[in-house]
Amino acid sequence: MREAKKKTTLPFKLSTIKLLHKWLSLLVFIQLFIWLGSGLFFNLMDHSKARGNQHRQSIVPVAIDAQRLSDINTSLSITSEPLKEVSLVQRLGHPYYLITHDKGLYRHFKSHFSLVDAYSGVIKIIDNEMAAALAKESYSGSAEISHLKKVEPPIEDFLKEKNILWQVDFDDELNTSVYINASSGRLVGHSNDDKRFADFFFMLHFMDYPLTGNASVGGFNNWQIIFFALLTVVFCLTGLIWTLELLIKGRYKIK
Amino acid sequence: MLFIGLQFVVWSVSGAYMVIMDIDYIHGDSLVTNEKQNIVPEQVKYSFTDLLTRYPQAENIELGLLLTKPVYRFDLKKQKRMVSAGDGQQLPKINIAMAIKLAKHHYANRQVEISKAQLITEKPPRELSARYLPVWRIDFDDFSSPSFYISVNSGQLVTKRHSFWRIFDWMFAFHVMDYIDEEADNRLLLIASTLALLASIFGLVLTYFRLAPKYNKKQNHQLNKPNKAGC
Repeated sequence: MREAKKKTTLPFKLSTIKLLHKWLSLLVFIQLFIWLGSGLFFNLMDHSKARGNQHRQSIVPVAIDAQRLSDINTSLSITSEPLKEVSLVQRLGHPYYLITHDKGLYRHFKSHFSLVDAYSGVIKIIDNEMAAALAKESYSGSAEISHLKKVEPPIEDFLKEKNILWQVDFDDELNTSVYINASSGRLVGHSNDDKRFADFFFMLHFMDYPLTGNASVGGFNNWQIIFFALLTVVFCLTGLIWTLELLIKGRYKIK
Repeated sequence: MLFIGLQFVVWSVSGAYMVIMDIDYIHGDSLVTNEKQNIVPEQVKYSFTDLLTRYPQAENIELGLLLTKPVYRFDLKKQKRMVSAGDGQQLPKINIAMAIKLAKHHYANRQVEISKAQLITEKPPRELSARYLPVWRIDFDDFSSPSFYISVNSGQLVTKRHSFWRIFDWMFAFHVMDYIDEEADNRLLLIASTLALLASIFGLVLTYFRLAPKYNKKQNHQLNKPNKAGC
């Protein structure tokens, strides 16, 4: 009697809730296990290893001879492109004017730079020789370079990057790859097998699956995760209601 | 299930919020105009050589704009400095009027009103990294109560926040069960996710027995009365 009374006060039928919960469990269980498993992995993984920086070292700047710097206005007149910013940077212990023609909101957004030798005032194009030297400068390991190539987005190790990069692979036990921005010479980052392993779990957790025709994008705003997330919300809420019902009916007892 | 059920709801609701809300929107990218003006080379009368002769210790020197005027920004003994690129004069720290002007300059909606301006020199709020201090916090009277943080020393927009970012931040904290550092490697999360995994395995076993046709048939033969769980 008591139960029948309660049922009339609820805006939904408990039997519907239970039916929904059972069938939803069939739909979401695989992804739910992937979420829980990868979530547990993030909890347990070595966070410093997952950054891919085992063989990364910082670059020590050298002193710049102010008197040798070429006149900034002459350097700026080299290019007729728009001028947003000029910074005095160092590449391989040599000063350059890094001229920003176009800059995105963040560093990985599409940008456009020129690099001008700050002593001679000559434009510097980053060729494979310079890319190799820049990569080595940031690399603390003893391995040699095995491959070197210019890569265009999408770049598997840095999926959010929107600029052309030099990819410099080292022949070490972790398969370290060093990425250099092809127009500015800036070090974008290091990647290695540890980072790739962690990235694989992020791909699973974010359901960023390379589905028919669509590659992974390195983000979590995709339709398949939105769909499954909504199903899972309903699944968890129906489960909670069911659990509460069992609790009220006194099914949880400490013997 | 009794212990872990609530956390399941928390995970699914916070997860759903984070995947549904576009991350660029959460970052506040739609709040700023990114049409930067160009530097006019003729206005640059003070050269990098002049600057480095005057400040030999200067690091990370950058020639950019402060509203429309070219300025040099650089680090001197870990502190940001700003010098006019027109005459080499050191520029004063950003005052409240200038901070409001700069915030409006970066804001996408030109007609916006400012609701509050506040100088923060220590104890930054949860949404701001301490490395940006000191800053001006400029609150806009607009949808989702946006705030821009303008650096006192460099005049640059260092952080942008709004209500949906603030909700997202809490959602993430609840998702990783860390309400202080927001790191995913805390013990609470370890215990909860291990229990959750166990509970899900039991759940899958239940699903099999409830929905597998073979078992259902057998059950129908065996009992014609309602089962104990009420379904």
